[in-house]
Amino acid sequence: MRRCLARPAAVIGLALLALLAVAIVFADLLAPYSPIMADPLHSLESPSSLHLLGTDVSGMDVLSRIIFATRINLLVGIVSVAGAFLVGVPIGLLTGFYRGFVSALVMRLFDFIQSFPVFVLGMALVSVLGQEIWNVALVLAVLFVPLFARLVRAEVLSLRERPFISAARCSGASDLAVMVRHLLPNALTPALVQLSISVGMAILLTAGLSFIGAGVRMPTPEWGLMVSSGAQQMILGVWWVSLFPGIAIVIAVLCFALLGDEMRRLLDPTRHRR
Amino acid sequence: MAGEDRSTTLEVDHLGIAFGAGAAEHAVLRDVTFRLGRNEILGIVGETGAGKSVLAQALVGLLPGDGRVVQGEIRVNGRPLAAMNERDRRQLRGGAISLIGTSAKTLLDPVETVGRQIARVLRAHRPCGRRAAWRQTVQLLGDVGIIDSEQRARAYPHELSGGMAQRVVIAMALIARPDIILADDATLGLDATVQVQVLDLLVARSRERGVSVILITHDLGIVAHYCDRVAIMRAGRIEELQAVQGFLAQPGTAYSESLLGAARARPVPADHLSTATQRLGDAGEAVAPRGETLLVVENLQKLFAAGAAQPPLRAVDGVSFSLARGETLALVGESGSGKTTIGQCLLRLLTATAGGMRFDGIDIAALTERQFRPLRQRMQMVFQEPYVALNPRWRVCDLISEPLRLLEPVSRRDRQARVNELLDLVQLPRRLAEAYPHQLTAGEQKRIGIARALATRPDFVVFDEPTTALDIRVRAQIIDLIRSLQVRTGLSALFITHDLNSVRSLAHNVIVLNRGQIVERGETETIFARPQHAYTRLLLTAELPIEWSASRRSGTPVPVLTAERGASARR
Repeated sequence: MRRCLARPAAVIGLALLALLAVAIVFADLLAPYSPIMADPLHSLESPSSLHLLGTDVSGMDVLSRIIFATRINLLVGIVSVAGAFLVGVPIGLLTGFYRGFVSALVMRLFDFIQSFPVFVLGMALVSVLGQEIWNVALVLAVLFVPLFARLVRAEVLSLRERPFISAARCSGASDLAVMVRHLLPNALTPALVQLSISVGMAILLTAGLSFIGAGVRMPTPEWGLMVSSGAQQMILGVWWVSLFPGIAIVIAVLCFALLGDEMRRLLDPTRHRR
Repeated sequence: MAGEDRSTTLEVDHLGIAFGAGAAEHAVLRDVTFRLGRNEILGIVGETGAGKSVLAQALVGLLPGDGRVVQGEIRVNGRPLAAMNERDRRQLRGGAISLIGTSAKTLLDPVETVGRQIARVLRAHRPCGRRAAWRQTVQLLGDVGIIDSEQRARAYPHELSGGMAQRVVIAMALIARPDIILADDATLGLDATVQVQVLDLLVARSRERGVSVILITHDLGIVAHYCDRVAIMRAGRIEELQAVQGFLAQPGTAYSESLLGAARARPVPADHLSTATQRLGDAGEAVAPRGETLLVVENLQKLFAAGAAQPPLRAVDGVSFSLARGETLALVGESGSGKTTIGQCLLRLLTATAGGMRFDGIDIAALTERQFRPLRQRMQMVFQEPYVALNPRWRVCDLISEPLRLLEPVSRRDRQARVNELLDLVQLPRRLAEAYPHQLTAGEQKRIGIARALATRPDFVVFDEPTTALDIRVRAQIIDLIRSLQVRTGLSALFITHDLNSVRSLAHNVIVLNRGQIVERGETETIFARPQHAYTRLLLTAELPIEWSASRRSGTPVPVLTAERGASARR
């Protein structure tokens, strides 16, 4: 217990994760209203005992929408990053191990993807594919593949020159065995740390795409879209429509960033002492 | 110091140093007491964890982390260190005491020319103009043996070799005319020839200037050749402190005795084949293979591309030799002589550019990697750096059994038995099977490397620098282990090293390499007694065995006569 408290970042990260998990699992019980039911008679009401976080321009309950949006935002974040990880890691491993023409070509392709501003690329792809939630996830996955591939590749490039790889070869290890049993476990740490941080980034990007109108469409409950829908009324003093989903985004991103840091510590192979 | 009338520059009185606070507090130094006279050279010897480096850090008032003095005091020129404020201490460091650390290249700032770095030290401690400081710097660089010092002063650290960088660091330590120089393993990792040059120089310049030197080392050879007195440290205490002559003749404690015993060369290993077969030729000619020939290397060549417009680097340039069953052949040379490259070509870790390699009649140069793999069961390698050659995420049992799993069809239970057998063979406790490499000491890691190489019961093993960077006693243990393997398993081995002392203890025959070419070959005793080639003599001059400390080096870099060395080498 004392060891846990000595690491406040881990405690806060886990607490926030628990909060998000509760929101996802018990959304139906927790949300006082339907997240998509418009009620024009009660539009833009300020926070009250009836609507704890107020209502938006269509009269939808902000609290209920925030709770239900957790599902969509986290799902998109986790699915897109997991997909990018599963595709990016093998690509990084292969391009780091075999440094031929194909490998160079793949890296230039990644340069190409990464040289676009994220939002421009996101808008272009989503407008071509259609404003569907799964398309947003797909676009994010495409954006994150180079990130994971590069991290793993950089590790592999330095690891492959290490004597223990030569030692493995002397033990009769084939290319595949060297890659899977020796390189991969040692090269994975930065990518695993990045995994958590990327979920935070993906949540932010999903929200950002929706905010500029390139993500999901109303009335889907989504944090970025909610912030965006409240933006016009901000100057009129209607602050609650944008502020509360904004806080939800901050909580989610912070949660995964803190967990990422903690992951870095846990994955250090020299952590356990005799 | 009874009987000596030199004034004292440094006094350390009942010094105790501890790290950690409260219940976690642990003492690192206990009751350390010694005096350092003006112009005296004191050697401090101890194994890893003895507290040598902590002592050095304490002397310059730079203890890391929460380390602190808990007992006693340090006085420099009569002034207690504890009474100084931060400003005084800054003046002390580099001014009265300078510290030379291991690996000079990392001690220098990579973005600044070495001349300016040295001049800056001078100006921090002595009132001196920019021009004058530069002049003194250039002059001193010349004094520490840097040719073309005016131009070299404008070089950046990456443009210098390791030995050159170490000289620069020495110049930096000397420039402000300190009273004391602390050299903490200052020549670790340098070639032996460079090491003696650097030490000769450090000692000569210090003697001239009346500087006291503390040489912290784990090499008793250095102590025997350069120091006036020696302090043996163990577990944070000074166990023994006496004049070097007396120490070598009659060490005061059992521990010192064991250190000295470990540092001594073993007799050349008995060759169980040599009696049966005729030996041909003299030292200068090719060594006649004894018994059945196992390995033949013919005109081996390995070139490395050195960038466009430059001729390729000839790492190995036309090397031929053969190895008989049961023979241990040493490849000796400085770094860059191509000895490690030869070993790597033999095991197909590098592809040879040209030349033939036949192992037990099989032309291994012509095989593809896939065809070669079955042969790996018979040819193995022990890697140089013990820790980095072990996958950090694997447990010891997995590390040792990897070759078995990949090269030999052995059942899981047999494998377990074999792992235990191998742990016994390299004299490690079986409980270590579950440990991870970072939980082991360097000596244990080295043993794991050896166990791994022996797992498939190979006919031939390449030992790449098996004794470097190990503590004295651990080094001796590894040597004894390899010797016992030679006797018990009739191992054929290629022994790659620059540690001549261990060659004497391990090899039947020696090949001396310089810049990728063989300059001399012969039987171990012959080479050590009557070296023919100038380069071999140079290598032997750089050796610092404790056996002939009587002919102590005088501090001036005069090469000792070869005959004298040869004679003492056989003692």
